[in-house]
Amino acid sequence: QGEGVETEVTWEDQQNINAFGRLNAKFHDLEDEIKAKKAQCWLRNQELAENLEDASNELVLSDEEVVRYQIGEVFGHLSKEEIESKLECLKEESDRELGRLAEEKDEVVSKMNELKRVLYAKFKDSINLEEE
Amino acid sequence: MAAAVASSPSPSPAERRGIPAAPFVEDVQVFLEKTASDASSALVSLQDRLQQYKVAEMKLLAQRRDLQAKIPDIKKCLDIVEALLSKKSSGEEPMTVDFELAEGIYSQARVDDGDSVCLWLGANVMLEYSYDEALLLLKKNLENANSSLEAIIEDLKFIRDQVTVTEVTIARVYNWDVHNRRKSKQQKDDP
Repeated sequence: QGEGVETEVTWEDQQNINAFGRLNAKFHDLEDEIKAKKAQCWLRNQELAENLEDASNELVLSDEEVVRYQIGEVFGHLSKEEIESKLECLKEESDRELGRLAEEKDEVVSKMNELKRVLYAKFKDSINLEEE
Repeated sequence: MAAAVASSPSPSPAERRGIPAAPFVEDVQVFLEKTASDASSALVSLQDRLQQYKVAEMKLLAQRRDLQAKIPDIKKCLDIVEALLSKKSSGEEPMTVDFELAEGIYSQARVDDGDSVCLWLGANVMLEYSYDEALLLLKKNLENANSSLEAIIEDLKFIRDQVTVTEVTIARVYNWDVHNRRKSKQQKDDP
């Protein structure tokens, strides 16, 4: 970069670079969201379960009649069936969300690759679009 | 602001919610002549601008974090009120819950069929609302929080763009300077 290359930067180039910057930021946000969502799939059922899978398993194994299900800040006493159906709903919703996030991430990555192609073609070594 | 952008294909806003946009430089030489500055003082003022943008970005990121923490809390309250409402309408016996008395210590309570809940409004104020009123209030709060969050996310995108433009301008001014010095050195060496 210290060669003082005189490649002109047009407004269109600048906009491509800006778009790349925004997409990169969005990419990292999505990765964080996906990680958080995966960790969030947990339910404090009898304060043991660590995710929805575990919770459903615990439910099946437990032979107590009343199970405590967290609503807001308290644990409500609910029947197994009620909780099973709530867990089902939660699992469906979270699968849907994760699917949506994964799709969005793929879109972002492909847009970024396209921009990389365009920008590297024009600027070659004068620009660096890789992760540190 | 250097009026160097004569024909931009898609005009971007000149400012957003009090934050000025970074002017795009079409030609470094023209830019330096227009602002009657040399490369190093231009670099100093550009770096300065960059710092200001970064400070604004930090503030917005903090606001975003706060909102992102507040929104699940509002949702939790909504959950409870909706559960109470559904229990009431289904006519089942009142719900028993375990609630935290102190850290790690829980106690049981029976939530009797009432018609109202108390909502904590902040500043040591708690108000009693009917289930329906509470639902309305909480939903409105959630809506407001979500739209504030959206606005902040847009602000962050805008700042990100201005930071990128400024960084690119700094690189170009620097490169132009290096190139210029080399050129004038060559001219001096070859009489």
